[in-house]
Amino acid sequence: MTKRSFLVALALAIGFAVVGFESGRFWAYLVYSVAIASIGALSLNILIGYCGQITFAQGALIGVGAYGAGIAGNAGWGAASLLVGAVCSALVSLLIGLPALRLRGLYFAISTLAAQFILNYLFKILQPLTNGVSGLVVKPLMLFGRPANDEQYAVICVGLLFLSWLVLTRIIQTNVGRAFLVVRESELVARGMGVDVARAKIQAFLLSGFFAGLCGGLIAFTSRLANPEAFEIGLSVDQTAMIIVGGLGSLGGSIIGAGFVTLLPEAIERLGELLPSADLISAFREMAFGILIILFLLLEPRGIVALARRIFARRGAAARTNLPDRASYGSGAISAQNGRKA
Amino acid sequence: MTLEVRDLSIRFGGVAAVTNMSLDVNAREIVGLIGPNGAGKTTFINCIAGVAQPDTGAASWNGRAILGLSPADLLRLGVARTFQSVVSLHDLTVLDLVKLGAAAHARRGRGFLSQFFGSDKAVDEEICESLLAPLNLVDVANSPIQTLSYGQRKSVDLARALACEPQLLYLDEPVAGLTFQEGLNMGAVIRSVRDRFGCSVVMVEHKMDVVMSTCDRIVVMAHGARIFEGTPAETQKDAEVRRVYLGDA
Ligand SMILES: Nc1ncnc2c1ncn2[C@@H]1O[C@H](COP(=O)(O)OP(=O)(O)O)[C@@H](O)[C@H]1O
Ligand SMILES: [Mg+2]
Repeated sequence: MTKRSFLVALALAIGFAVVGFESGRFWAYLVYSVAIASIGALSLNILIGYCGQITFAQGALIGVGAYGAGIAGNAGWGAASLLVGAVCSALVSLLIGLPALRLRGLYFAISTLAAQFILNYLFKILQPLTNGVSGLVVKPLMLFGRPANDEQYAVICVGLLFLSWLVLTRIIQTNVGRAFLVVRESELVARGMGVDVARAKIQAFLLSGFFAGLCGGLIAFTSRLANPEAFEIGLSVDQTAMIIVGGLGSLGGSIIGAGFVTLLPEAIERLGELLPSADLISAFREMAFGILIILFLLLEPRGIVALARRIFARRGAAARTNLPDRASYGSGAISAQNGRKA
Repeated sequence: MTLEVRDLSIRFGGVAAVTNMSLDVNAREIVGLIGPNGAGKTTFINCIAGVAQPDTGAASWNGRAILGLSPADLLRLGVARTFQSVVSLHDLTVLDLVKLGAAAHARRGRGFLSQFFGSDKAVDEEICESLLAPLNLVDVANSPIQTLSYGQRKSVDLARALACEPQLLYLDEPVAGLTFQEGLNMGAVIRSVRDRFGCSVVMVEHKMDVVMSTCDRIVVMAHGARIFEGTPAETQKDAEVRRVYLGDA
């Protein structure tokens, strides 16, 4: 990370925290919603965008963090409950990831789909822990002796997002993060280079799970509720849309994508209020993400970040970081000769 | 400092890819392994590089049995390899990949916390000077590998392998796909690598001019077995080699 990107990120974080704190409840709500979604998207991008392990269980994993933090919070753990939620999710993520040591690509993805449904089912039937379908009411975080309000949550969430981004950015620039990228491109090459593929995957699942749990804990506290409906496959889809729209393999892109996907429904809703055909618009809202995902996958699989870079490059702002061509993304074009009978 | 491979065989279903192949490599020697396509060269390298498990045979490096070890184990013993086809490792820069390569070497690997909190500046400079400069890669040190030419990527792969200070280096077709001039340069680089690091090299290659000018000794394979062994000059003269390999009638 360059000094410049650090300072830019810090300035943005302070800017959004101020907006969230000073502009009333609605803006506070928008700011913390985007910040929380961003933490989830960062987590998912580590796993899918960096390490190449496709998962559909992100929604349930966020749920685990929400329940973990909610239960700890209700038991009086205060802010430390966020850590409890994060650790719970990290452990469950590891469990979900274990099949990845044997299965690859689509096969593994399907096993995560199963995990998503199993977890969601558990949220419903583990009545004593989760309070079943009606959901767990979560006591608010206490701040200065009073329950935290939306403005304060906005500042907390933006602060935690900044920290998450900072930590992940640094990790990506160590050999741990470099190993993720090589594993994504080709496990065979990674092994041949002496990278411990199994260890890299385990690290990616733990790391990604931790931040998914943090995201979940924040959802539990800000919405004061952890209910199964909030953590269904739809949340996994939203989160996936965020990293595809923002940019696979880009931490900054995750945040841009999270903003886009979180704010788009709000914008469409506003639009619906203005236009007569409100029903049509709200139906369109459901479709919008699907269309977005497909469009981006077809036209720019590396997301808004790549799009922006390309536009800047065309404007002559010397493309310092040349863009990889999209056709070969993740193709892992290694010669099949390198170690067939492995 | 010797590699000894004895009677190594591996079959894939009905195909005998390598049959009773033996090979000795002495300290600081560059051995060329040549042969027509499908002769079993890559398979043989894979067997002694911990990627494929041969059916029978033995191999030792400095007296230590190496069959069955993983590539990571071998790297720790000072055995490194390059790949026949380089992957387009997307977002990694040249420096990233070389640092990852260095991590496979016990002494060169840095602890996680020092990487997390520390700066890479000193390490980067050292890598540029000792590894990238001789391979003409300093200008692209911070470029994503994706943006490099094929020839440069081959050099990067070599730099990555050299970063773990190997004493034995397998090169699988280091020159294939390079232009004529790049190929000649690579040959010279391989010899200078041997001179600087004092390592032994086993190099699989097709381009005869490069093999002749780079290697100390040549082993010719056909149909999974050795059919000839000798100096470059002897190899060029041998009638059988010319027939199966060099394409004479
Ligand atoms: N995993 C495998 N399964 C089946 N056949 C293989 C496998 N790997 C190599 N072979 C066969 O073994 C023979 C030797 O191949 P290879 O070692 O790639 O030759 P070379 O590198 O000399 O061109 C070929 O006939 C090839 O088709
Ligand atoms: Mg080959």
